[in-house]
Amino acid sequence: MRVILAEDSTLLREGLVRLLVEEGHEVVASVGDGDALLSTTAAYRPDVIVTDVRMPPTHTDEGLRAALEIRKRWPEIGVLVLSQYVEKRYAAELITGDGERVGYLLKDRVAQVGEFLDALDRVAAGGAAFDPEVVRRLLARTTHTDPLGKLTVRERDVLEKMAQGHTNAGIAESLFVSLSAVEKHVNAIFDKLGLASTAGYSRRVLAILRYLGS
Amino acid sequence: MPVPAAMRRYLRKMLRGTLGLAIGATTGVAEFFYVLFGGIALAVPALRRPVFSGARTLSEMERQRLEKYFGEENATDYSGRRAMAYLVPRCVIGLLSAGIFGLILLGAGSGLIIGYQLLDGRSPGGDAPADWYDPVTTLLFGALLVFLSLQGLIGAATLDGKLARYFFGPSKKEQLRRRVSELATSRAEVVEAVNGERRRIERDLHDGVQQRLVALGMLLGRARRATDPKRASDLLRQAHEESQRALVDLREVSWRVYPIALDADGLHPALEALAERSGVPVHLRVDLPERPPAAIETVVYFVASEAVTNTIKHAAATRIDIEAERDGDRVRVRITDDGTGGARESGGGLSGLARRVAAADGQFIVDSPPGGPTVVTAVLPCA
Repeated sequence: MRVILAEDSTLLREGLVRLLVEEGHEVVASVGDGDALLSTTAAYRPDVIVTDVRMPPTHTDEGLRAALEIRKRWPEIGVLVLSQYVEKRYAAELITGDGERVGYLLKDRVAQVGEFLDALDRVAAGGAAFDPEVVRRLLARTTHTDPLGKLTVRERDVLEKMAQGHTNAGIAESLFVSLSAVEKHVNAIFDKLGLASTAGYSRRVLAILRYLGS
Repeated sequence: MPVPAAMRRYLRKMLRGTLGLAIGATTGVAEFFYVLFGGIALAVPALRRPVFSGARTLSEMERQRLEKYFGEENATDYSGRRAMAYLVPRCVIGLLSAGIFGLILLGAGSGLIIGYQLLDGRSPGGDAPADWYDPVTTLLFGALLVFLSLQGLIGAATLDGKLARYFFGPSKKEQLRRRVSELATSRAEVVEAVNGERRRIERDLHDGVQQRLVALGMLLGRARRATDPKRASDLLRQAHEESQRALVDLREVSWRVYPIALDADGLHPALEALAERSGVPVHLRVDLPERPPAAIETVVYFVASEAVTNTIKHAAATRIDIEAERDGDRVRVRITDDGTGGARESGGGLSGLARRVAAADGQFIVDSPPGGPTVVTAVLPCA
């Protein structure tokens, strides 16, 4: 797939470019600030952009603002945001809209090369990818308020994976259970949370994250 | 001919002072009568209150005059009785300055007449023809009179200020109030300075060390995914090097947070280490016979290190001088560079330092004209 990278640390940017190239992706541009990200995106229309939140000149949320702008202008481009820390606000802002082709990972996740590439694929394929830590934080915030309290431990595990953007098959693989067991858990979760079951997995992530964010 | 700025400032100050004194001379006359009749009126108990309040109005006028023309700031919390007591010597000074102005006018008038007579070829007085020495004696005598009248004016102005300070000088309460507001400000500044430092440390960690570790992790991840053993071992070698660099970065950051040498060995070795690490040559001169208190050492160290960092970042200097010395019961640190100057005390790094120094009750001065050189000085009390 065609990717644009935005990351101000040269060290990391070069590393990411090498990694993506080795994996057979095409890095059409790699830039160091939000403005350059917007202009190169307009010029190349990549499949996915990967951007750091904090970039020059303000070093606050330049990258995130560029990402939101890209989501608004070119909804067909996948957006994967890398952040230094879990910011509930960032995750919430990113999923407003249709909640598709979007991801929010902690920067450290890049070191888990497999997970990072997996997330990138999910975003490019039209899905969502949320960092386990982000999801955990979001779930933790709401445990004391009802209906999540009704879930079993196993169901919570499945919900976490779901919220990260995994498919049922992916969840089954990572939790070492059968696909039908996962489907059973998912139905139970939807029942307990009072969510209507829908076909697309990204929509269910959206539903869950919206529910958590509310 | 252009007049140098310092000269112009001085002249303006002189003119302003003279004007203030002239106004003071006229109010002095009014005050003389007020003191005369008010003093008599004080014998009647019923009149005391209005007399005192009138005295307050008059001395408030004097206080404002001194503030406006002489830059003398005095407290406002004095009683009407004290105001009346002030007016007694004050009207004498007012009359004295009125007298001086009168004499100056008189002298100027006679000077004009004598000058005219001399030009006319007559001796001063006008009857006999002038002798050769007449202009010389007149000139010497005139110069002496000008000198005396200037001295008179300066003396009257000094007396005026001294008197006001004596009567209106800040009371204990006022001093306390000022001290409290000073402390409240510096406390807020300490909090701000600490927050600023925390932000900097956070940034150092996230933008430096974390990036290195992520890059390291990425190299290791790529090595694990690599199918070609030669390529994998190459990536591992790079990862190993990266881990060394991450360690160096970490050491740098923790050094910037707090140099351990400061605790163990004191200011001098810590500053030496700072000098060694600097990219620009640093010349160090430390003259501290005994170690200052640890809190002061820390402030001195950070003033020096922040100033050096700023210089390296912005000033394009080729040489930095750090001097730290004992000055009575104070420690003075001065950082001089030969760079481009133009540093402002309100700028990011320097304002943080100013706060830090203020929190320790010290003075902080930045002198950095455009074109350089920059001199940053901090004077800290260490009783």
